[in-house]
Amino acid sequence: MSHLLSRSLFGFSKSDLTMALGYSTFADFLDKTLLKDSALPAAPNTWVTAVPAQSQQDDGSAGRWYTEMTSWWYSRMVNEGLNMREKMVLFFHNHFANERSKVVYPQNMYVQNQLFRKYAFGNFKQLVKDVSKDPAMLIYLDGNNSRGAGPNENYARELMELFTMGIGNYTETDIKQSAKVLSGYQVSGLTATFVASRWYTEATVTVFGKTAKFDINTLIDHIFDQKATAQFICRKLYQEFVYYKPDEVFVTKMAEVFRANNFEMKPLLKFLFTSDEFYKTEIIGSKIKSPTELLVGSAKLLQVKTPDLNNFYELARTLQMQLFQPPNVAGWPGQREWISSTTYSYRGGFTDSLLTGKRYNGVAVTSKLDPIPFARTFTTSEKANEFVDEIVGLALRFPLSDTRRKFLLDTLLDGTIVANYNTFTANTDARVNKFLKALMRLPEYQLC
Amino acid sequence: MKKNVSRKQFLQQMALLSGGAAWGMGSISGKAYAQVPASMASMVAGAEQGKALVIIQLSGGNDGLNTVIPAEDDQYFVKRPDIGIKKDAALPLKNGMYLNPAMTGIKKLYDQGKVSVLQNIGYANPDRSHFRATDIWNTGSDAKTVWDEGWAGRYLSIKYPQYPMNLPKHPMAIQLGSVESLLFQSDLGRFGTVFEDPNLFYQLVNGSTADSDLPPATLAGEELGFLKQIATTSIQYSKVIQECAAKGKINLTYPSTNLARQLQIVSKLISGGIETPIFLTTIGGFDTHANQLTQHANLWKTISEAVAAFQSDLENMNLADSVSVVTFSEFGRRVNQNGTLGTDHGTAAPMFVIGKTVRGGLIGENPNLKILDANGDLKYNYDYRQVYSTIIRDHLGVDAVKTQQIFNQAFERLPIYQNSPDQLPEFTSLELVTSVPNPVIDFALIQYSVFEKMQIKLAVYDLQGQEIQQIYQGNREPGSYQITADLARISAGFYIISLSGPNGQRQSRRMIKQ
Repeated sequence: MSHLLSRSLFGFSKSDLTMALGYSTFADFLDKTLLKDSALPAAPNTWVTAVPAQSQQDDGSAGRWYTEMTSWWYSRMVNEGLNMREKMVLFFHNHFANERSKVVYPQNMYVQNQLFRKYAFGNFKQLVKDVSKDPAMLIYLDGNNSRGAGPNENYARELMELFTMGIGNYTETDIKQSAKVLSGYQVSGLTATFVASRWYTEATVTVFGKTAKFDINTLIDHIFDQKATAQFICRKLYQEFVYYKPDEVFVTKMAEVFRANNFEMKPLLKFLFTSDEFYKTEIIGSKIKSPTELLVGSAKLLQVKTPDLNNFYELARTLQMQLFQPPNVAGWPGQREWISSTTYSYRGGFTDSLLTGKRYNGVAVTSKLDPIPFARTFTTSEKANEFVDEIVGLALRFPLSDTRRKFLLDTLLDGTIVANYNTFTANTDARVNKFLKALMRLPEYQLC
Repeated sequence: MKKNVSRKQFLQQMALLSGGAAWGMGSISGKAYAQVPASMASMVAGAEQGKALVIIQLSGGNDGLNTVIPAEDDQYFVKRPDIGIKKDAALPLKNGMYLNPAMTGIKKLYDQGKVSVLQNIGYANPDRSHFRATDIWNTGSDAKTVWDEGWAGRYLSIKYPQYPMNLPKHPMAIQLGSVESLLFQSDLGRFGTVFEDPNLFYQLVNGSTADSDLPPATLAGEELGFLKQIATTSIQYSKVIQECAAKGKINLTYPSTNLARQLQIVSKLISGGIETPIFLTTIGGFDTHANQLTQHANLWKTISEAVAAFQSDLENMNLADSVSVVTFSEFGRRVNQNGTLGTDHGTAAPMFVIGKTVRGGLIGENPNLKILDANGDLKYNYDYRQVYSTIIRDHLGVDAVKTQQIFNQAFERLPIYQNSPDQLPEFTSLELVTSVPNPVIDFALIQYSVFEKMQIKLAVYDLQGQEIQQIYQGNREPGSYQITADLARISAGFYIISLSGPNGQRQSRRMIKQ
């Protein structure tokens, strides 16, 4: 269960785990909480319906709104409880990666973000159709103002290469022809309009050997009829939730399930989470946490209910995962690409800040851990050995070596002996803090 | 190009690594080499000393035709009626080629002979995906081969054969940024140290920990081993980087752009005595699908100003002889403009090699805007690995055999540096190999090769260019051929045997008739 929670959620606390284990059947847990549908959350503010205007950039509103929307999304994640939806929203944001620097207006990006939420457990084919007409996407990949007579190939290429089929499954001619089909849209403010006179005028085009007067919907249907498509998205899900090097045999099984269920996400996720593949011992603890998993997961673990979201915002940028600003249209590649000499070091700076109340540069954070009440939420709080084991069991998926475990125990005891340790003696708050700091600075903590 | 390092070997290396460095809470290592005299550390590092290569990566696919502009070619304006740059506005080079008007800094260096402009660089069957194409350029593979090691990673594994058993005293490669490029990755580990600011980097690493436990032999254990390796190199190198930055001089004011800041840090580290042979800097924003004119010009203004400042900084410090700058981008862009005043993904494009030791000038033929591939893209003249092979040999001083190892193939060098070989190899779509015997009495055996399907003509000419005797004319599939020609009837004297193709390709050999 800890493995499932650490992959399908951003992280979990002790009470999350207890609650998850309280369901009478595993199917109940999946249906009634992990994959449960719920209404869309209320908007971060009224600006989401403001018609985009240059003045919003000039006076700095757009930037402030982006920050506000980012905090709003972080709040959804921190308060996700045992529901996987926000993890899927981030998965889709990474899959259909659009950058705020080009989309410009947060209103457009907000609409797209809610679209991902709507389809988090929904129909992927329909999501591709909707996202192809989404104003933010039209702006980002130059579908906006692309005319049939001289179409812009940007969206057609990325639709096939990154969103549906993967490289090697189409030709340059398929791209050129599809670009004509995808033309004709114009974005004005918050809406995208199809203008028939800007569309292609040829009687037919030929894509993957089929000749027809394709429109945007029939083209995407045709793309989903290609075998590569289900395989491609299932491979990406596998890499995100199971292991970054895909097992093609299992990916093929996923693709069969996906096609049999008409590209619905929920049955596919259920299949994945009830498969033996997902729980193989060798993949447990093999995922390098994304910065979002590190930030949100650490707050969840330490039960910091209202973490300093400005700190999240700043650190996420430094750790190379600013929400709404993926590096390019391929999104964040993940796993080892998260880690360089720089980002590895900043990760330690972040987890320190939850305990010390100060960022690496000395700036105070608004919310930090209160160590003694936190320790006392554990029944083992007065027994040093058992306490270390319980926290390690909760925080680390990677098995800890005996020497590392001893190092953590020594850090907690900080000179005292097991028999004298309890949370009622002076300086235990500092001890617990030091212990958690050391725990979260272990390279093992970067794995989930 | 996998080096078959077994998992066990890797773990042994990890163990050595951890034994050599002082791992633990809050400690900064460096002990392993702290006592080694600099000269010995140099021996460990390899024979070629003192040269540095600074790579500028232009992310997104630079539009070559609006960078080095064929502004006297009518086709250029036919295909780019709205975004073509007129010659009156552009900066003249030679042979009808011009630089983008924003590139005044690079033009000035060009006029001083410090810029080699390499035209139409690419590779066969070019990929138009940003990601695959970037990987190809970084790994040094051809289009059909997928390698998972960077070419610089392979160069560094030759230069530092002890890595990862021993870490050299100075960083083996430095990348200004945050996400490590594939360029520096190898099966043995990552050669790059990545940071944005030397002081901040030092400050952050202080407090990182790594231990000497061997990770278990599982999939997850491999990831832990990777994390530990990063932790160790960070601990090892953050101090030397901070020290070199502190010793380095600041001689002039750089422009306040991100790229200029990156180059300024490189200059500071070099002047502070860092022995790193390769630096990677990056500038993005080249994916100009729409309204590209201003954006593209601004990008080149940024590069041009940053490089000019960097070059004059190095010259002031008498370090310019040892440093060379090269630019690359994953592809060029389509010849035709698209409907949104931009250009879509294309193929071949120019590269710049800048420094005091280059020959300077325009290298290679101008882009041919009439003979394009099936997508309407430029054909390449030189393989990008010819450029890299030249840099590795003539600038970084690696021998021919090792250079060939890096790319798993030998590439003919280009006349980029003063010490590069003279001859400019022609773009060979055909090759006339030999005619024997020479001098000839009656029958000559002529061998030739054709590299793409074309109509060819093989004939004997006199020295005035008059055709004396045709030997063969017709279509040829790619392949090597030989033909016996009866030359008994032509009179004694000097002649030229010439093989020509439909687009002006021609190769000639001298022949003597007895």
